[in-house]
Amino acid sequence: MGSTTEQSVLLEVSFPYARYAEIAANTLSVDKEPRRGGVSKIISHEGNVLKVVLQSTEARLLRVSANSFLEHLRLVTETMEKFGPPV
Amino acid sequence: MVIAIGFEGSANKLGIGIIKDGVVLSNPRHTYITPPGQGFLPKDTARHHREHALSVLQQALDEAKIKPQDIDVICYTKGPGMGAPLVSTALVARTVAQLWKKPIVAVNHCIGHIEMGRLITGSKNPTVLYVSGGNTQVIAYSERCYRIFGETIDIAVGNCLDRFARVLKLSNDPSPGYNIEQLAKQGQKYLELPYVVKGMDVSFSGLLSFIEEKAPELIEKGEYTPADMCFSLQETVFAMLIEITERAMAHCGSQEVLIVGGVGCNKRLQEMMGVMAEERGATLFATDERFCIDNGAMIAQAGWEMFRSGITTEMKDTTCTQRFRTDEVEVTWRK
Repeated sequence: MGSTTEQSVLLEVSFPYARYAEIAANTLSVDKEPRRGGVSKIISHEGNVLKVVLQSTEARLLRVSANSFLEHLRLVTETMEKFGPPV
Repeated sequence: MVIAIGFEGSANKLGIGIIKDGVVLSNPRHTYITPPGQGFLPKDTARHHREHALSVLQQALDEAKIKPQDIDVICYTKGPGMGAPLVSTALVARTVAQLWKKPIVAVNHCIGHIEMGRLITGSKNPTVLYVSGGNTQVIAYSERCYRIFGETIDIAVGNCLDRFARVLKLSNDPSPGYNIEQLAKQGQKYLELPYVVKGMDVSFSGLLSFIEEKAPELIEKGEYTPADMCFSLQETVFAMLIEITERAMAHCGSQEVLIVGGVGCNKRLQEMMGVMAEERGATLFATDERFCIDNGAMIAQAGWEMFRSGITTEMKDTTCTQRFRTDEVEVTWRK
């Protein structure tokens, strides 16, 4: 805590189809990080890979943000597995 | 023909319902029930919704006997409500909307209650008392807006009941309010409680503090039973609600009153409202726990109305918001 150096977490998640990576990116990028939460989140997709960059000056905030993101990601992927028609 | 599916998760109920032109095809719901004495916290409630969303969705499709491709529009609760549970539910709605290539509509939770109440009861233009764990409002429609005539200035009436149930360590199954209602039937002795009506508004927090402080010692001394306390609490808070509802009806010249929201399935509240309505020559409309308590079909119904009036929400705008007033929505589907 208290450090002013920027720290970041990079997540890359492969999906079976490019379309699924795009859907996940669209779904997950709607909710913004709290304005004064101290974390920035950038979500993109390239081919079948979902890419997420989280940045903060506090490791603790990064951990909380990454945890929450992964919980949400899991729900999205489970929804695709159960309800996604084969593309 | 328009088929709408609604996703609701603004509080401790996760509900998904399917409506086809005013007919409820399915409306399963899963409630997060905490141990006696405990309320539900956002994080745990969100986890509950994530764990049950997909099985409830499957159940909704199975019971309605429809396939995803038969659905015309996906509706979800934008707010008001608890942030984390709202988002968890919205994530599923957004994902299936894209998987199934369907438009999505963001729905105000309060509007969902009103439209469901109107659909089920067939009331045309009622004065609405919306009472639940998170909201307490007296509402009347005018000029494309559900206007709030009166509301709580602190906590919701359902929150007041729920928190008193925690003092008595009543079960939260099926809901704390239901158990207060059952116990109140055996109440005999009335304890006078602070009755706070300020113009068209009500306040419950002072009353709650008062009864939270007094109840343990009065019960301990044997002066009042828990049943007496539940009876006194219900009589007092309901009388306050009837008073402001009656004033709104008098103001609007309304001949119909509709009760919606989780507290709305309380039979004693319905009885008191019925007496008031009869004295005024008005008609009371209420629904049972299937539609009063938060459910998915109500979101589908409000979304169905919105969709038919030409409203859809862009994916990037499908956010959730904890605060979202009933009177912020332009009611494009009513004259």
